[in-house]
Amino acid sequence: MKRIKRAINNFQRKEVGIKIILVTSASLSILAVFMIIAYIFRESLPAIRTVGFKGLFSFNWKPEPANPPAGSYGMLVPIIGTISATFWAILFGAPLAIGTAVYIDQMAPMAIRSVINRGIEILAGIPSVIIGWFGLTMLVPALRNVTATNGFGIMAAGVVLAVMSLPTITSISVDALRALPPELEEASLAMGATRWQTVSRALLPAARRGVLIAVILGIGRAVGETMAVQMVVGNANQVAWPWELFKPTSTLTSRIISDIGESTGVFRSVVYTEGLVLLIFAMVLILAIRMVSRERKR
Amino acid sequence: MRAKRADRIATVVFWIIGLVSISILLFITGVILWNGLGKAIQPSFIFGRPKGFKAGGGIWPMIVSSFYITGLALFVIMPISILSAIYLAEYAKDGRFTRFVKFCVDSLASMPSIVFGLFGMTVFVILFGWGYSLIAGSLTVALLNLPTVMRSAEESLRSVPVTYREASLSLGASRWKTIRKVVLPSATPGILTGTMLTVGRILGESAALVYTAGLVSRHVPDSLFDSAAPLAGYIWYVQTEAGAPDYRAIVDGSAALLLVMVLVINFGARRIGNYYQKRTLAGEKRV
Repeated sequence: MKRIKRAINNFQRKEVGIKIILVTSASLSILAVFMIIAYIFRESLPAIRTVGFKGLFSFNWKPEPANPPAGSYGMLVPIIGTISATFWAILFGAPLAIGTAVYIDQMAPMAIRSVINRGIEILAGIPSVIIGWFGLTMLVPALRNVTATNGFGIMAAGVVLAVMSLPTITSISVDALRALPPELEEASLAMGATRWQTVSRALLPAARRGVLIAVILGIGRAVGETMAVQMVVGNANQVAWPWELFKPTSTLTSRIISDIGESTGVFRSVVYTEGLVLLIFAMVLILAIRMVSRERKR
Repeated sequence: MRAKRADRIATVVFWIIGLVSISILLFITGVILWNGLGKAIQPSFIFGRPKGFKAGGGIWPMIVSSFYITGLALFVIMPISILSAIYLAEYAKDGRFTRFVKFCVDSLASMPSIVFGLFGMTVFVILFGWGYSLIAGSLTVALLNLPTVMRSAEESLRSVPVTYREASLSLGASRWKTIRKVVLPSATPGILTGTMLTVGRILGESAALVYTAGLVSRHVPDSLFDSAAPLAGYIWYVQTEAGAPDYRAIVDGSAALLLVMVLVINFGARRIGNYYQKRTLAGEKRV
């Protein structure tokens, strides 16, 4: 009896120990998120304190690397740059991506379907520096020849970002379309609707939440993309609104990667504040996705 | 009739959209390989060392750095992500804690990689005093890729049929033994595919690495605390600095080589997944 009891005790103790290990490793993600937010916030405090919200949200940008407190550090130029580039990325990318998803799900013959599916996966895996280098050596010179500008700017960044968010939006939209009950499509076709009527009036409306989530994730990809954008956006310190397509400008990410290496003091802290703004963008997008998917459950 | 015509037009439009998407991919890979493969296959380029402002430099230290960082990062990611995935898929009940863990994993996955770079620089490079080093870079990309590996491992575990677990438990195996001997082996192909895809992503990562691991390195890193320069970051650095007279050829060659490595790994990932899947299916039939 005693021996059996001890065996059971050992057994339970082992299971409890395992559970503790598992919970600990799952908690590491919580720790990571909080550490990242805490450190980025802590490092941006000096900028928030000395430059102030008014100074940070202005167009004045005159960093003084030698004497940081003497400079002015407005972040509006890169914030607007990020918004402009993302706007065009989604305007170019989303229709193409959703169209490709519909094509894969509905129209493509079996053989082509798997080729395109595989191709989209490969496109997702191409490193961003390579797409940036392609943009710098092919796209920017092409834009330079067509327009009378130097080719850098929102247009180049928008196209590069469209290419990079295409696979994200496509694959999640395909998943959304696949998740629809087959009866929906069958019923529509059986009623005599054409393929296009079925897609536009039955399938896409039914999958709209999934497609919306796909687009939001695409926006996230575009906002956070760094290297490729830095290579084609021009890195100039002038504001470019979405309609100023060929004006070299900066984005938050391009600013960060260009300045982080050689900034000190308040200047360095401003770079972290730019990172903080990116984090806030990311959090807003996550909350938007939560809202969209919660609505679906109801 | 009008509906039919609209349908025909839509069909043509969707065909064009599909072909445009695939030609974007073919065009980019084609241009990169066409411009760079000639340079990329020269032994003096692959196995040479960078020569700063002189022409004819190679990229061997960067190639090795890339693989060191990938290996070290996986060494950190694998145990944590598999254990977390086991917790989420096998043990966790749908409660407040589980939902919070999932929210944090989602948040971590949605943060831009440059933010991880900033974090790694603050904590690993400066606070811990490691400087630009292999270990600082590896830990940074490990954090960056943790959520994706965790999610794919969780999905692989969930796709193992419940009957497997029931059979094992009914034979008297403990919960942990069931997971270790039955569930994990069945989920291995999925986990392996997810891991290979992560290898491809780490090899291509640059934003999180240039200011944690290092920008350029003259020699192969010889310790964890030695500065390293992964190939993707080096491509960015060389085209920014444009120091060497043949910098264009160096970038072209490096880009082509990196692309080939990533493509091989991504194709390999699918192959492994398919191979194992076929094998386990065949095994099931035998039983």
